[in-house]
Amino acid sequence: MNTIPLLLYLAAGILYAVHFSTRSATVGRAGTAVLASGSLAHTFVIGMQTMAAGHVPIAGTTQAISTFVWLLALAYLCMEMTTEERALGVFIVPLLVALQLIRALNPVMERRVPILESAWFGVHVASLLFAYASFALACVIGITYVLLFKEIKAKHLGFFYKRLPSLDSLDLMNARTVMLGWVFLTVGVVVGAVWAAEAKSGPIYDPRVQAMSLADPKILGAVVCWAIYTFALYTRRLGWGGKRAAYLSALGFAIVLFNFVPIGYFLTRSHNFGG
Amino acid sequence: MHLFLLGVSHKTTPVDIREHLDFTARGLDAALAALAVRPSTSEAVVLSTCNRAELYVACDEVASARADLLGFLGEYHGLDTSAVFPHLYEEVDGAAARHLFRVAGGLDSLVVGEPQILGQVKDAYAAATEGRTVGPVLNKVFPWSFTVGKRVRTETALSEGAVSVGFAATALARKIFGDLKERTVLVIGAGEMGKLTARHLKAQGVSRMLITSRTLAHAEALAETIDASPVPWRDLLVTLNQADIVITATGALLPILTRSQVEGAMRGRRNRPLFLIDIALPRDVDPAVGDLDSVFLYNIDDLQAIVEANLTRRASEVTKAEGIVADEVKKFEAWLSARCAIPTVVALRQRFEAIRRQELDRLQPKLAGLPPEAKTRVDEITRLLVEKLLITPTEQLKSTPDPERLRSDADALTRLFALDAEDPVRDEPDRSSAARRADDAGKAVTP
Repeated sequence: MNTIPLLLYLAAGILYAVHFSTRSATVGRAGTAVLASGSLAHTFVIGMQTMAAGHVPIAGTTQAISTFVWLLALAYLCMEMTTEERALGVFIVPLLVALQLIRALNPVMERRVPILESAWFGVHVASLLFAYASFALACVIGITYVLLFKEIKAKHLGFFYKRLPSLDSLDLMNARTVMLGWVFLTVGVVVGAVWAAEAKSGPIYDPRVQAMSLADPKILGAVVCWAIYTFALYTRRLGWGGKRAAYLSALGFAIVLFNFVPIGYFLTRSHNFGG
Repeated sequence: MHLFLLGVSHKTTPVDIREHLDFTARGLDAALAALAVRPSTSEAVVLSTCNRAELYVACDEVASARADLLGFLGEYHGLDTSAVFPHLYEEVDGAAARHLFRVAGGLDSLVVGEPQILGQVKDAYAAATEGRTVGPVLNKVFPWSFTVGKRVRTETALSEGAVSVGFAATALARKIFGDLKERTVLVIGAGEMGKLTARHLKAQGVSRMLITSRTLAHAEALAETIDASPVPWRDLLVTLNQADIVITATGALLPILTRSQVEGAMRGRRNRPLFLIDIALPRDVDPAVGDLDSVFLYNIDDLQAIVEANLTRRASEVTKAEGIVADEVKKFEAWLSARCAIPTVVALRQRFEAIRRQELDRLQPKLAGLPPEAKTRVDEITRLLVEKLLITPTEQLKSTPDPERLRSDADALTRLFALDAEDPVRDEPDRSSAARRADDAGKAVTP
């Protein structure tokens, strides 16, 4: 079932790429329409799975990835509609395709273990997925900022110069998405810590809950992310906007992605509820 | 009905002749009013810009319209038309539409693809609409030209990219800073080039513009003309901290902004980008300034190179734009030739209606006994019958794409229905009774 959104995302990605290189408005609109229908199909899939399982599919890493893809698609569409800027789609949609591919190749519906039946857990995962979606946008915006900056600096006004919005608006968009992501990341980490403390003293014994400490790579990764984005926000106040903020948000999202996928699958001892 | 165009432009006529044919000085209304009373032209639009003066009219006969327009030009401008005549060009129907479409699309402009001309064409049409000198032909072809202009703009890159140094600098500033309203511009030097570039930026809505010059009086004078604030030369470095965009255009022989000076200013800016536009020769800004992070330094050669690249790209878009024009001209020609069908269609309708009336009159005694609503019904039924019979031939005729074919069809209709007969309905009753008799005799008479 997860292949339908995947195929639509793939088609949207191709349309966005064609739009980016030819700058045809019609192709761009078609890209947006296909992406919107992809996320609509994805909404349907997630809704069906929620009904079948009785809870939102976020318990295991694979499910969480798919839910993240869905959120990112929606977040990107919101941004496209508010800024009327379609040029960034070509960077975002491939990420959707790559991550949704993981979900489509693992069609299992991971069961939720009893210990996760807590409202804290839902808030924890949902805020972190929101945070990651914002950071993904910030990263893409940051990369395009650097590309455009280099073109103008080198006086080779070409590909990106014609296609991207101004440096100033890219910088503003980056600042906003980092801020938004940071708020959700903070909420997610704090709620996670509270919930873990509660679960540790609770009636159910689970080795994964006992492993929840800073020594676990996944938790450490999240804290490192938080430190990087806090640093980015703080230094922006000191005038580190523009290129430095762009590099920081790219670095931050690289760690987010690393923490989300390889660490989530292979290294963590505390966050492997996928079974 | 023909579309006829007579005019001069920068392509055919030197400026000293063109300026004698300017219509804007006395207002277009006067020219339009004078044209409207000419006997051979039924509609008129006057397009007068600094690069062209063109008269677009609708007329029945081209030769008399030409003579009329020449007479008008001579009278209106009080000049001997023989001096102007060799420079005039004229076009008829499709070719006239092609010319107008090319003008609206910016293909006939001095700088190919410049966007102002479309607005000027719209103004010319608006003036004519106001003066009520437009009719079916010009009301069709002018709005059509706006569509062509818009298509050229959106479907080709003909108007893309700055083609003057001032515009190139402004476009860059917008790409760096986005909206320029909140930005501060500092102009160093009170020369002509600096003034031009400052004007371009001002047009983008820059609210705060500072001007400094070694001679404060020069800065003050320029500040007054472009609504800016003069700044004493000794405050240059302090002001540099506040500016986002700096234009240098002094006649100084040595650089006036060194790397260390700009470096100092950048510290105060907390790394916000600074855009330096050095349009002076010799250069005002030490080239090493360009190596600083967050400083974008463009000199006159860099801007010139952008302009050249844009011009080359525009030239390569011309073929595509000409294709759009050709496409639309074809459609317009089809419309114009379909208009030729109108007299035939009208005659045919009148003919059928006359027959209907005549038959109703003839049957009057027999219908007299009917109640009024039945009479109304009979009238309605006959009217609908005629309408229905005419609908297909009318549509077929109007949608004939080939003008030759249209003409022969119209001729055939005229002949078959004797549409050009003086009073075709006169002997109608006899003819119809003869036809009825033939019909009764066994229907074999009709081939």
